[in-house]
This record gives sequence, structure tokens and C-alpha cells, in this order.
Amino acid sequence: MTDPKQRITELEAIERAKQGDEAAFETLYQLHKRRVYSLCLRMVSNPAQAEDLAQEAFLQLFRKIGTFRGESAFSTWLHRMTVNVVLMQLRKKNLPSVSLEETLEADDETPRKEFGADDVKLEGSVDRLQLQRAIDRLPPGYKMVFVLHDVEGFEHNEIAQIVGCSIGNSKSQLHKARLKLRDYLKFMRAEKAKTG
Amino acid sequence: MKCSDVDRILPDLLDGGSVDESQDLEVQSHLRTCTECSDLVADLKLIAREARSLSECEEPPARVWVRIANELRAEGLIREHNTDLPRPVLVPATRRRWNPFWLAPVAAAILAAGSYLLIHHPAHHAVAQVAKSSISQAASQAAGQLPAQQPATQAIQPSAQELAKAHPFPAIPQAAAPAAAIQTPEATEEAELSPPVSDNQFLSEVSTRAPGERVVYTNELRAVNNEIRETKAYIARHPGDVDARQHLLEVYQQKVMLYQMALDRIQ
Repeated sequence: MTDPKQRITELEAIERAKQGDEAAFETLYQLHKRRVYSLCLRMVSNPAQAEDLAQEAFLQLFRKIGTFRGESAFSTWLHRMTVNVVLMQLRKKNLPSVSLEETLEADDETPRKEFGADDVKLEGSVDRLQLQRAIDRLPPGYKMVFVLHDVEGFEHNEIAQIVGCSIGNSKSQLHKARLKLRDYLKFMRAEKAKTG
Repeated sequence: MKCSDVDRILPDLLDGGSVDESQDLEVQSHLRTCTECSDLVADLKLIAREARSLSECEEPPARVWVRIANELRAEGLIREHNTDLPRPVLVPATRRRWNPFWLAPVAAAILAAGSYLLIHHPAHHAVAQVAKSSISQAASQAAGQLPAQQPATQAIQPSAQELAKAHPFPAIPQAAAPAAAIQTPEATEEAELSPPVSDNQFLSEVSTRAPGERVVYTNELRAVNNEIRETKAYIARHPGDVDARQHLLEVYQQKVMLYQMALDRIQ
């Protein structure tokens, strides 16, 4: 959530950026760079590619800033652009499923009890690196909703607007993403236990 | 309540969705007796909680902003205060303005021009030595060899008469006293590439050119000075950024080339 003081700064920067003020562009960049870059990095798992995607997202934003009218939050607008840039990149790589509906159909095979006897709590056995690796394995549609909701903190109504799906769809995607992550994390733990 | 019922309402349960009070009580009662469901809920909550720690934890390198700013400038989206003139042809408006392959012939031209000046116009050389301080010093700062404020020292101090006699340009202000005492490799390289005249003298000289040329040179000088100023401001905030320092060196080289192009035309 944007605090009021930052919001005023952001609004001023937007108006000045529309006039071509470089400092205003940089202010907007500094306000949102970590979120945009982190989102790109989570989605493509490649720092060099994430840099290019973040750069492209900001450039598209700044080229179109004259059209921003404030109907939605600026961050939502920016992140929508970022998601579009990322999705275009993923489509270029011909990844099999980048639409949420396709992901829902194609990957809905995760049973709840995949690990039977190993089905114990994850408590204490999840670290950031393991979680990042598990996220990297998610199909693109699941990954997008999971990253936007659980990592970046967007609400389902915002995700629906950004990604172009229904709120119900977003909730369903998120739940399936979490279930899949749980399975991946348990698999990693089982593998680690085997190798010692 | 059965496990399948819990599965059905779990998304709303975890994210504060529409679960009424009676349903909630049933779920809690089920979770107290069903290890599998309670473990599942605990795991999913843990995953959601741990995921938050990944947010905004990655900082993009400084070069991302530098590239964005350069592109915005190239596209004319960053506007200078006093000009709406089109970007001059002198400096191509491409993402990478200075292709390294440019540098070899241009560097050779600069050295040749510098040799000509030394041989035929000794006072130009004196002017060059006096005027090089700001660029050499600043370029050395960019290379990280000097602190931000370096007191000037005098290595060459031509007399006012020598300057007035040998060169038509106005007297150089005292602030441009040379700082040649510290000869770091980067400072030496910048000294070799430093332009023979200061900005004021450059502008004074190009003011005698045709209006079209004058506008082009003036705009280019303004653009490169702005880029120097902004990159320096950036480095002041991020002193460890090697990419930004390299970029600043490249921008100084651009300025040297601009001076040389103008002087080649003048002579």
C-alpha cells in the first residue's frame, strides 16, 4: 500500500514526467524499480533477462505516461505493463502455457496426497532458496498469480485487472500454485534426505 | 465436515474470503481432529508467509537506469528547458551512442590534431593545459582515483600576455587552473583526450558559425554537459557503481570529440 506522502510525491512526479522532466522519471523509477525487477526475476529466473525486461517495462511506461489518467493506481498500471512485457517474452520462448485458462486445464493433475507416507508438515524445512527453486518450476500462469499475490502482495481484484482474468480464477490459480509448491518442496526434501 | 469440504473452501479460508461463521467453526473443529487437513493448512500458510520475504528483495543494477535514461533522451522524451529543437545529426540517437569502433579513428584524429596544435600553436597547448583541469580532474573522480574535492595545483601557468597574444579567446578564469599534479593512468588518458578550450570559449567560437551549425553545437554541448552532471550526481549517490563511472568516462570522451569536431571545422 502506498503511504500518502509517497503518493503525493508519485503524483507530482507523474505530472512532471509528462512534461519531460528527467528527475521525475528517475523518481518514478526509484519508487518502483525493486518491485518491477523482482517480479521479472521471479518470472524468468535470469538476471540479465530480468534487467532487459525491467528496462523495457519502464520504457513502455514512460512512453505512455502522457496517457495515464489516474483511474487506477499507478503501480497497478506499471505492473500490468510489466506482466505484459514478461508474458510477451515467455510467448517468444514458446513456453507451452502462458494463458491462465490453459494453465488451469493443463496442470490440474496435482493430487493432494502425492507423497503419502512423507506427507508431514513443512514447518521448519522451507528456506528462501528452496522456495525460489520451487517457484521457478511452476507453470507460467500459476507462477504469475502466485508471485503477484503471495510475493508482491497484490489483492485478487488487482491481479484480475493486471492479468485479465476473474477474481475467482485468480483465487483458484493461487490455491493450485500453493498446492504444487507444497509438493515440490516435499519432493526436494525427500531428494535431499536420500542424498544425505 | 469432510476433508473434501475443507478442500473446497480452503482458498477463501486462507485468504480471508467469504466463509461464514458457522462454516468457520466447522472447519476449525475438523482441523482439530484431522492431522492431514491441519498439516495442509499449516503448510499452505507457511508457503504464503515465506513467499512475502521474496518481495522487492532484488535491486536492479545501476546500469538499468542509465540505459533507460539514455533511451528516453534518444527518443526525445526527456526535454531540456529551452529547446524543442530536433536531435542533431552529429551524435547519432542510437541506444549505444558511442560504438567502440568509432574510437580508433577518432582517437587517431585527436592525437593528430593535438600534435598539430603543439607544433604550430604553442599557446594553444598552454591554453589546453590550463583548460584541461576540470575535465581531467572530473574524469579522474569518475575513475575513482580522486576524492570529490581535489584542491587544484599549478603545473603550467602561462602568462596572461602569452595567452592574449597567441590566442584570440577571452581570458580563462582562475578556477580553471590546472590540476596536473596527480597523474593517475585515467587522468593521463583524459589529459591526452582533453579539449583545447573551455565551454565558454567553445560557445564563443561556435557563435561565429552559421545559425544552423551554432544551434547544433550548442545543443550538443548542453546535452553532454547535462549527462555529465546527472551521471556525476548519480555517482555521488552510488559511489561504488563501476558501470556508472565507466559511463561517465564515455560521456567525457563524447565531449572531447565534440570539441574536436568543432575545432577541426574552425581551423
